Amino acid sequence: MRGARPVRWAAGAAAVVLAAAACGGGGGTTPGVFSASWGDPQNPLEPANTNEVQGGKVLDMIFRGLKRYNPRTAAPENMLAERIDTSDARNFTITVKDGRRFSNGEPVTARSFVDAWNYGASLKNNQKNAYFFGYIEGYDKVHPETGTQSADTLSGLRVTGPRTFTVRLNQKFSTFPDTLGYVAFSPLPRAFFDHHEDWLRKPVGNGPYRIVSYTRGFKMALRRWGGYQGPDKARNKGVDLQVYTDSNTAYTDLLAGNLDLVDDVPATQLKFARKDLDGRYINTPAGIIQTLAFPFYDRSWNSPRMRKVRTGLSMAIDRDLITRTIFRRTRTPASDWTSPVLGAAGGFQAGLCAAACVHDPRRAKQLVREGGGLPGGQVRITYNADTGSHKQWVDAVCNSINNALGDDTACVGNPVGTFADFRNQLGRHSMPGPFRAGWQMDYPLIQNFLQPLYYSGGSSNDGQWSNKDFDRLVDQANAESDRAKAVRLFQRAEGVVRDHMAAIPLWYQNGSAGYSHRLSHVALTPFSVPVYDEIKVG
Amino acid sequence: MPEQPPYEPEGAMAATGTGGTMDLAASEATTLEKTPGGPGGTGPEGKPRSLWSDAWHDLRRNPVFLASALVILFLVVLAIRPSLIAPGNPLSCDLSKALDGSRAGHPFGYDGQGCDVYTRTVHGARTSVTVGVCATLGVALLGSVLGGLAGYFGRGWDAVLSRITDTFFAIPVLLGGLVLLSVVTSTTVWPVVGFIVLLGWPQISRIARGAVITAKQNDYVLAARALGASDSRILLRHIAPNAVAPVIVVATIALGTYIALEATLSYLGVGLKPPSVSWGIDISAASPYIRNAPHALLWPSGALAITVLAFIMLGDAVRDALDPKLR
Repeated sequence: MRGARPVRWAAGAAAVVLAAAACGGGGGTTPGVFSASWGDPQNPLEPANTNEVQGGKVLDMIFRGLKRYNPRTAAPENMLAERIDTSDARNFTITVKDGRRFSNGEPVTARSFVDAWNYGASLKNNQKNAYFFGYIEGYDKVHPETGTQSADTLSGLRVTGPRTFTVRLNQKFSTFPDTLGYVAFSPLPRAFFDHHEDWLRKPVGNGPYRIVSYTRGFKMALRRWGGYQGPDKARNKGVDLQVYTDSNTAYTDLLAGNLDLVDDVPATQLKFARKDLDGRYINTPAGIIQTLAFPFYDRSWNSPRMRKVRTGLSMAIDRDLITRTIFRRTRTPASDWTSPVLGAAGGFQAGLCAAACVHDPRRAKQLVREGGGLPGGQVRITYNADTGSHKQWVDAVCNSINNALGDDTACVGNPVGTFADFRNQLGRHSMPGPFRAGWQMDYPLIQNFLQPLYYSGGSSNDGQWSNKDFDRLVDQANAESDRAKAVRLFQRAEGVVRDHMAAIPLWYQNGSAGYSHRLSHVALTPFSVPVYDEIKVG
Repeated sequence: MPEQPPYEPEGAMAATGTGGTMDLAASEATTLEKTPGGPGGTGPEGKPRSLWSDAWHDLRRNPVFLASALVILFLVVLAIRPSLIAPGNPLSCDLSKALDGSRAGHPFGYDGQGCDVYTRTVHGARTSVTVGVCATLGVALLGSVLGGLAGYFGRGWDAVLSRITDTFFAIPVLLGGLVLLSVVTSTTVWPVVGFIVLLGWPQISRIARGAVITAKQNDYVLAARALGASDSRILLRHIAPNAVAPVIVVATIALGTYIALEATLSYLGVGLKPPSVSWGIDISAASPYIRNAPHALLWPSGALAITVLAFIMLGDAVRDALDPKLR
């Protein structure tokens, strides 16, 4: 999910006022309803326009798609899909379950999906997640890279019955059905198209919750939808999502009894979180990896010799010590470019990075010297400073590099005030050196950890790394209909990333959450989002 | 702070704004009374004491002055040679010791990055003193030149310069800092010094203007003018020595507040930037750990508080000595 992490932690200094407003909200006093920390979504809650975690949390409560990722294992399981058939990994026939409804009473049909996907892909609707529909035939007409669109609907989508539709892709993509649990593929009711403004004010979905009210900067009230037909009915009466702009404030409110659930315990509080919360603290592996990416558009970072410098920097970082002291083991040192959440069968390869990700200051110094030294004599690691924990780890990484290279100013942090500005600078390709790159998976496939980040022109390839071998292997993998073979091809592509040290893997991130005495059965998904519907109150 | 006596409206007009400037108006208006041959005491040799020797005579017996001067002397020595008492390297940190308490050789313990708090606190004096002294010199120079010109030449000069002063007075310090300094990437102290000078000079300028206006109405100035002395000679020989005392007093007190301002800006992330060592940066970095490891926060905060207090008390003592009305 592009840019998901930082928004989640986003905490502007100016927003103390907002936090104060949230403090005034108090805990959920309605029986059966609990309060949880949250942040305002970046965009209106259109499913295809939400690519950050806060909006995603709500959509995950009010929508159900064809597939749903198992809250424990992230395995894609049929939700609204009765069956998804294909014989050639390119043409898919999808049958929607019977009798499902939106909370306004409309039935969920094949058209609900096709209309929603056409809306999401269309250039004129300017949806952030449009590229997710890029595999469907006709996308280039609906969403051309330049100029105006020559079609309004995807030619690859055809409604063939009230509950069936077909999808034709523009290339083979064997794991396409597994991507359908992503929020962008949610169905939409007619009300979305007919009364768009009303819908935006109070989104209507087909999930276990419905939105009752939303005050920007304060809170969103969601209540259990009694008419929900799915197997995952809410086990509480509702959730009040309270807006916080600083995870420290939310945590303090939790301790003070003003809040029931905090789903991001700030790193600076981790040391005492277990004691503070007396067992009401969970720490679950999540499909998130943090890396340091490089500005390959800058010649000084792109020369062949720089590979040694990048490897040297990687070996200068004491991942084990940093994850232990700064993150209190809520991160695990990374040794590949994916996530353990995928499992070995899904493509995760522990130790792929091998010696290059193991702290070895002597070898690090030697490699940096052999590679011609640091460009300009100094690396500046750019990160957004408005969030709780980035400063701590960037400083620690820099100290680690400085100690290894024996130079107090070899590495300095380069904070950017806000996440929005950070994204803008990334977009302008004006990074003065390595930069923070976090990736939270959209769906649990190795493809999602590699293609958007390292494929030439990939949607989140912010450093503009480009490698023909890598691109070729990814193309082959996507065309492979045998899942195991596809995974192996992706792993070979990941090997290319390793050989060039296209990005330095830092650590795999866990989700952490703390909760009040009122709650039980609290869990986090591998996407590090609380499983709201399973939480019991009282 | 002792009660202020009532004084003439001229002084009151010159001093709008903060309490600090109000205090100054008093000393400014009284400067002329202490000018050579004034009612001051006589020295041991029977010669009349000047304002300055009189003030020095007072200061030497003022325990507040002696205490704060001692602290400041110590700080200045630290700023020049921090390695005298802290031989370590403030940038060398060992993460494995993060947030540890004090131990032999590391009396203040370690901060969140495993840096030695003692070494960083001692070395932090350099940036604070540098920023304080340089900003004060800049402010005093710019403010007294512009204020002095406005006061001496009056009319058009005065109108224009006073309006410019008002404009700069209207800029909120923190907002201005967040806007102007957030675009700076330099890690040296100079952007911060420049910013403080930019926003600090109007205060001195008003004081200097008032003092010059008062001084230029004196008989000896009129006499010098009648004898054909040039403007520059009158300004430098006759007016400046008699108008400089209030400027010195305000500047000394302001020095402390500038140090606090530097720490504030650094705390907010727009002042000094790592790898600079600054108390503000350390306070900012340590504040999330206040529950777990208060020592990392308390030492740099304490150093900052003592430094600011020392300069403000020194300023108070100097003002008392230069302002006979308070006696």
